[in-house]
Amino acid sequence: MTVHNIRHADSRHGDASDGAVGGRLSRVDGPAKITGAAKYAFEQQLDGLAHAVMVEATIAAGTVRAIDTRAAETTPGVLLVLTPDTIMEIKGASDWLGNPPTQKTYSPLARTVTYSGQHIAAVVAETFEQAVAAAALIEVSYDETPAIVDLSDPKAGDGIPIDAMTKEWGDAEAAFAAAPVRICAAYNTQREYQAAMEPHGLIARWQGEELTIWEPSQWLDGMARTYAEWFGVPFENVRLVSPYIGGGFGSKALALAHSAVAAASAKMLGRPVKLVLTRPQNFTSYGGRAATRQTVTIGAGRDGKIQSIVHRGVNETAVDGMWVEPLASVTSIMYATPNFSSKQNVVRVNTVVPGAKRAPGENPSAFGIECAIDELAHEVGIDPLEIRLRNYAEQDPEAKKAWSTRQLREAFASGAERFGWSKRSPKPRSMRDGHQLIGWGVAAGTYPVRRAYGEAIVRILADGSVEVESSSIDMGQGTYTILAQTAAETVGVAADDVVVKLGDSRYARAGVAGGSRLAGVMTGAVYKAATSALDQLVGLAISDPRSPFHALQANTLVVANGRLRSPRGDGPDVSIAELLASVGRDRIEAAGDTMPANSTAEDRYKNYTTIATSIPHTEGNYSRHSWCAHFIEVRVDEDFGTVRVSRVVSALDSGRLYNPKLAESQWKGGIIMGIGQALLEEGIVDRRHGRIVNNNLADYLVPTNADIPDIEVISVGIPDLHSSVLGGKGVGELAIVGVAPAIANAVFHATGKRVRDLPITLEKLI
Amino acid sequence: MTSQTTIHLTINGRDHSLNVEPRVTLLDALRDRLDLTGTKKGCDHGQCGACTVHVDGERVLACLTLAAQVEGREITTIEGLAGADGTLDAVQAAFLEQDAFQCGYCTPGQIMSAVACIREGHANSDDEIREYMAGNLCRCGAYPNIVAAVRQAALEVVS
Ligand code: FES
Ligand code: FES
Repeated sequence: MTVHNIRHADSRHGDASDGAVGGRLSRVDGPAKITGAAKYAFEQQLDGLAHAVMVEATIAAGTVRAIDTRAAETTPGVLLVLTPDTIMEIKGASDWLGNPPTQKTYSPLARTVTYSGQHIAAVVAETFEQAVAAAALIEVSYDETPAIVDLSDPKAGDGIPIDAMTKEWGDAEAAFAAAPVRICAAYNTQREYQAAMEPHGLIARWQGEELTIWEPSQWLDGMARTYAEWFGVPFENVRLVSPYIGGGFGSKALALAHSAVAAASAKMLGRPVKLVLTRPQNFTSYGGRAATRQTVTIGAGRDGKIQSIVHRGVNETAVDGMWVEPLASVTSIMYATPNFSSKQNVVRVNTVVPGAKRAPGENPSAFGIECAIDELAHEVGIDPLEIRLRNYAEQDPEAKKAWSTRQLREAFASGAERFGWSKRSPKPRSMRDGHQLIGWGVAAGTYPVRRAYGEAIVRILADGSVEVESSSIDMGQGTYTILAQTAAETVGVAADDVVVKLGDSRYARAGVAGGSRLAGVMTGAVYKAATSALDQLVGLAISDPRSPFHALQANTLVVANGRLRSPRGDGPDVSIAELLASVGRDRIEAAGDTMPANSTAEDRYKNYTTIATSIPHTEGNYSRHSWCAHFIEVRVDEDFGTVRVSRVVSALDSGRLYNPKLAESQWKGGIIMGIGQALLEEGIVDRRHGRIVNNNLADYLVPTNADIPDIEVISVGIPDLHSSVLGGKGVGELAIVGVAPAIANAVFHATGKRVRDLPITLEKLI
Repeated sequence: MTSQTTIHLTINGRDHSLNVEPRVTLLDALRDRLDLTGTKKGCDHGQCGACTVHVDGERVLACLTLAAQVEGREITTIEGLAGADGTLDAVQAAFLEQDAFQCGYCTPGQIMSAVACIREGHANSDDEIREYMAGNLCRCGAYPNIVAAVRQAALEVVS
């Protein structure tokens, strides 16, 4: 069995200060990833491994009449065929908020089909090839009923009001009616998919009542809780291992139906089972971003000052599951307005329940308001950048609290400067290069600072190296690296001398890596644990009679570059290893957490296995958010309507950056995903069968290298100690927010055509 | 289909013989039978480039290649790119320096493609690199840094 425990090779470039917090240290997990040595979760090689393959429904609504498994069962190598009738009983599990299950049992294989692609059977065989071949022989008959295929289906209706989403102040309708300038438009965003390059999958192994799961996971403790509840074993009996994650983007935080099937079949067979979803199954086994519809009406003065915003939103959800994509999350805070009203409905359609995709809520919300304000700018003849400054919110208009930090003005200023915004010719269709129409667009984005409590263990080992342990994860955000930097700086060793161990639920507990909260939570926890390890080290050095510092009568010591000495520089100068040897210790270990002091074991369990204990971003006196401004140039072919993004300058305020090199990469990644959303990506539903027809990476168009121009990102953040222990705000979700509206606004500037329906494809322009 | 056949593969300069069904792809042979999991499976349909390896020095999608097809050919995977002493290939070093990856899942395929792209003489400009690297998807969006890394490595390889 392989457990992730490699000492990462030296990956440092540049000078020694790169190893401190805020330095541009190269990824410490980089050498493993570029040499192929990094073993991702379901790449573990286990003896006796059997292979499972899922079979999915080919109708969108109805019931499974019969599943004929005879041919599959007699296929060579087949060990087990599972149907709703033959799978072992699995118990209902609580949801991610910790709400108790609504059903006593859970059926990961469906008898009643509510969406095309729903799992209804599975085959386990000796080899992957045998399982695939046998699965193709399973015959299913259905009693089909009419399906609601998407939001535009006439059967879809107006949906269910979500009262908790209502936000109102002032009298928005009356102020709108009285406003001298009124604009009103409808904005649609499409169904999108996370499409991480690593598919979902897992290896499950039972040893008695102990379950080990190797599965890419954004949340080991949350998923371990689900497995424990499904199979009625204590939480401690479940170990989740996820050393590297090949991209998640919100999709890998929950144990899913196929996860239950793999774990159940492993138990039924008494053998470890590996199950990896095919790429098409990755489009229906968990939800992407829900399709949304918004109407934004703005009432304003001739000076462009907003007097009222009325916002109505709808998102699709599943027939048997609830997903609310909070569509007013940016609408209600981006601009100062004395009157505001927002309401939201959800509409049930026959789809897998939608889920989190990068900046759920903020992303579509920004598409509405950031296009609408551009329309207002055009209407009143004010520059789109200027109108944003005129309506700048000096405090949170909704919470009526001061911003913790809001470097949005600075973002507008430095982005505009680098982009050359002042050279923009205001009239649409007034800039061109041959047959290409050129358009310049701007839009802002924001994401709240989600906070939570965390814990970590820091050890100082006999050789003077430092070890950090946490069950948090690194899916490319750079957790390994920034925690190494945090521990190195806090203890006083080189980053090379820190080993960070993540991705194993046996380590110190951690909450979800989602909502851009992990870096802030974990740097805080590691800082605390490392500080206490350092205190122990210095305490030993001063007080232990065997220590070379004992005679010095010092009350503190300096630890730097792995060596201890007195602050005055007199007395001995010894390495950490020598000190530990002299006092006869082989290690120092410290646990640190940021939980409230009187927390019980129950509080801790709840904190790490549910999201119920997240701290509101408006807690106390401040409203905490990251901010950004995107300046984007598009080139639209006048004859063909093809849109290419040719230049991007984005200025972003994520507070203090723990590692700018890695933060810049994440920002660029978010911007690129936003370009995909604006121009390429769309889950296309076959209206006859309610099926996603482009459920693969050739037809669902994620951006390729050839679609992406140079992207310049500028950090305008300042440390925000209201947001986190070390001053950072969120990084990962922020940068996608505002990209699609900036592109739509640029396309309008290029062509004079307002496309309010994503993606902006050529048929909408010609 | 149950009949197994013995095939002989030369991977990263080492000979392997394995008993597999003829329908086993090179990708599954590498990942499931030979513990060479550096080569990734993103789609299994030739759509993403994560499984890119070299066969006789040319880039090939291992998911669209049967293991039996490449008997007697020189196969190089990401595990065989660095020197025997661990010295990184110029492309690997440039990927690390330019931060040309995040999750790392597309990365072995990107690197194998980039090595071939440079060897093919298709790394003469940023636009050319973007075009000839367009078959390797990266959902983390490391593209600008990948272009920078390929540009840097191409200069080092030439000089
Ligand atoms: S796995 Fe071969 S191209 Fe995607
Ligand atoms: S680095 Fe994650 S897909 Fe490319």
